[in-house]
Amino acid sequence: MIQLSRITPIALLLAASLATTGLAQANEKAEPVAKVMQDKPFAQTRVALQISDGSPDKQTLILNVANNLLKFYGPDKVDIEVVAFGPGLRLLFKGNANSQRIADLAAQGVRFSACENTIKAMTKKLDHVPELNPNARIVPAGIVRMVELNKAGYFVARP
Amino acid sequence: MQLHNTSKKFQRYLALTALCAGMAAAMPSAHAANWLMLQGTEPADNAPRAKVWGFIQPMYSKDFSDAFAGKYVPPKLIGPSLDSQSSFNILRARIGVRGTGFPLDSHINYFLLTEFGNNAITNGGKYGSYKPYLTDASITLNYIKGARVRLGLFKYPGAEEGLQGIAAFPYIGYTSVTNQMLLERFPTNGETNIAPQTVPNADMNAFSAPVGAFRDVGAQVFDAFDVGNWEHTYAVMLGNGHGVQMSDNNSSKDLYLYWSSAYLFDKSAKGPFRPSLKMFTWYQKGKRTDAYDNTKEQDRKRYGVGVSYLKKPFRVSAEYMWGQGMIFQGQQNPQRMFNNNKAAGGYIEGGYFIPNTKFELDLRYDTYKRNKGIMKGPTPEAKFNTWTAGVNYHFNKKTRFTLDYSIRKYSSVFTPVNNQLKDVKGLLALQVTAVF
Repeated sequence: MIQLSRITPIALLLAASLATTGLAQANEKAEPVAKVMQDKPFAQTRVALQISDGSPDKQTLILNVANNLLKFYGPDKVDIEVVAFGPGLRLLFKGNANSQRIADLAAQGVRFSACENTIKAMTKKLDHVPELNPNARIVPAGIVRMVELNKAGYFVARP
Repeated sequence: MQLHNTSKKFQRYLALTALCAGMAAAMPSAHAANWLMLQGTEPADNAPRAKVWGFIQPMYSKDFSDAFAGKYVPPKLIGPSLDSQSSFNILRARIGVRGTGFPLDSHINYFLLTEFGNNAITNGGKYGSYKPYLTDASITLNYIKGARVRLGLFKYPGAEEGLQGIAAFPYIGYTSVTNQMLLERFPTNGETNIAPQTVPNADMNAFSAPVGAFRDVGAQVFDAFDVGNWEHTYAVMLGNGHGVQMSDNNSSKDLYLYWSSAYLFDKSAKGPFRPSLKMFTWYQKGKRTDAYDNTKEQDRKRYGVGVSYLKKPFRVSAEYMWGQGMIFQGQQNPQRMFNNNKAAGGYIEGGYFIPNTKFELDLRYDTYKRNKGIMKGPTPEAKFNTWTAGVNYHFNKKTRFTLDYSIRKYSSVFTPVNNQLKDVKGLLALQVTAVF
């Protein structure tokens, strides 16, 4: 009985910890660049778009740019990955006013990557893990992802 | 039998048509925007820490009214100084800042706005002097779904003409019903109406306190809900009932209720020019302490219904409003400034955006009946009917030139009052609005 009373708080703590971890892990890890490129075998143009700025105008701009690329080349002919880090990660917060636009672009094959380093830094500031858009995939470091995309032949742009 | 059925159908059709026509006639202005959400909230995770914004409205106006017995009353003079029949003015010059103080948590947003223009907020009139004023200072807490909470000084929920962002208002002047019945004045002890005066230097502004500016200090619970293409919005607010003055001059609190249902023609559209059909109703009730005898209090009640439609190139809106208590008497005849009578009024207006041009044509009819049913005595029934024709030239989305001409037909059942009102004639006004 005594043992049970000791175990209960530990179990609750563990459960809470798992629940928190669950929130942080709700979004899948992004596949390596070489793997994601295979998802767009007919792409003739590959573009990596960086958003690292907290400005609302930049959020709109980057989504406009992605949309314009899709329209110009066609969804099958262009491979676009939006990488969000620093203040730019707000674009990929769950309740962001642009969520519907992000969903529409994701449905056409645009990938959205969220920087794990930024998530950790924001967790400290917020006292909780920020909830992300379900279309966001976690990359260990946003800037490293940009480098990898560039190495793989992606045109890097920071609108 | 068939004839009978057809007749019944026709009767139903007639009844429906009459109802629709009645609604259109009885109700609406302004654009079909959700002003409560536009002014009280920020887009989630998409708002800056601090967005500086504002607008400037330089204007010129000329009144063509005639004097009666060589003297003038306020409707024949240019406000807020009321000492001339033509005047250049900076009607409004507002600058403010709004946003999400801590952008990582969009559950809290704020709104600050100050007025530097020369108008009934900042001009103390005969007994005061020009003084810039803080008109908005509010915080919104967005933690409870369906019940956002806004605290501080801000626009209370109510009639469209007052609630809307004034920079988007297509006319230069308010309707008579809004100006007289809704734009609240706050007299202080010793301030009395001024008898008709000769110009120049008439200066008939009798108030030292700023007008209410459709604002109050208080707490509001509100939110908007989407149901298919419909958006329903509610608001419940308690306030001091003392306008932009950050104090409460009595123990009673004002209650404000608001409901609107808007059909959105384009759900993805945002902002003040969102195409939609909106129906709305509102109610306000409070008490005012008598400025001349502070042991007495008077009820102040206002309510209204309205509708607005916007789908370019057309805009139509209409609203009808009623009020009792604290009915402002104007100064065409020196009496107590306010009484406990009834008043009612409304407007119907429309706009046409000429395709492929920068011109917008506007036409508005407004009517106001003050002291309803009082056929004798010093505070008699008075009617104010105005036609306003206007042109807006939109240089761009944030800058426009407005030209308005109003034909005013004012009258009263009491001869001394009527003598002054019947000589109120046309009013010309030109204004540039620049939003930044």
